[in-house]
Amino acid sequence: MTDSDFREAYRQHKDVLYRFAWRMTGSATVAEDLVHDCFLMLWRSTVAFDRDRGTLRSFLLGVMRNLALRHLRASHPNDPLEEECSICDPLDLETGERAAMVAKAVAALPPLQRESLILAEYEELSLDEIARVTGAELAAVKSRLHRARENLRRLLLPLLEPKGKAYGTQ
Amino acid sequence: MEPNDDPKLRELLREWQLPGAPPSLDRRVLGESQPWWRNLITGSIRVPVPAVIAAFLVMLALAVSLTGRHPAPVATTVSLKEFQPVENLNVRIIRTTLEARP
Repeated sequence: MTDSDFREAYRQHKDVLYRFAWRMTGSATVAEDLVHDCFLMLWRSTVAFDRDRGTLRSFLLGVMRNLALRHLRASHPNDPLEEECSICDPLDLETGERAAMVAKAVAALPPLQRESLILAEYEELSLDEIARVTGAELAAVKSRLHRARENLRRLLLPLLEPKGKAYGTQ
Repeated sequence: MEPNDDPKLRELLREWQLPGAPPSLDRRVLGESQPWWRNLITGSIRVPVPAVIAAFLVMLALAVSLTGRHPAPVATTVSLKEFQPVENLNVRIIRTTLEARP
């Protein structure tokens, strides 16, 4: 990879990777570090991009996904990444701005559900692309997305339903 | 549209928007340098928490030792080597006027 190729890749994909990392880890500082590491790996050819296996964007998101999961494993070693806790514990969403409540609810998802949801809803990747980025089967991606949305509907119910309906008052 | 798609949920999720990558990341990744004096204003360093605690304790100990320390009296030695007794002792007593009054 030449210097100009690298700069162009960075310019095109830095924002997507940064936002993905931020949403996955919940920290802007950690996101900055992870994007830095991601491009450092690309520059040093620690990871090799193969055009035949997808776009550079999908490839970099895959690298970022691995870095984010590694960070989450290190910072929360006892939290499972997925499946057993497919139903999230309820959150206190009584106070705060709506965006902050959404952030809180997304952060409450298990990491594998969270990554599928972020890639689908915020980065607008297709199911096939998500499967490629996460290295999962298409059926697994569908299942994770389904569970993630179910969890979010439950967690964000007070914001999704009219107040009278949600709380049983007219 | 996916079968599990929910426009209401999607609309709500979109309320959580984040900014793009900060300029500091450009400098880190692309190595774009800035004037040295600018680093003094905008630069930051990461210090491990144990190092901060250790530095704080050292400074606290220094402060305590500096504020609690009184200057030691200067030890002076008096030498009587060149002492010479007075040869003509002429004592004159001066009294105040009150003392002189009977």
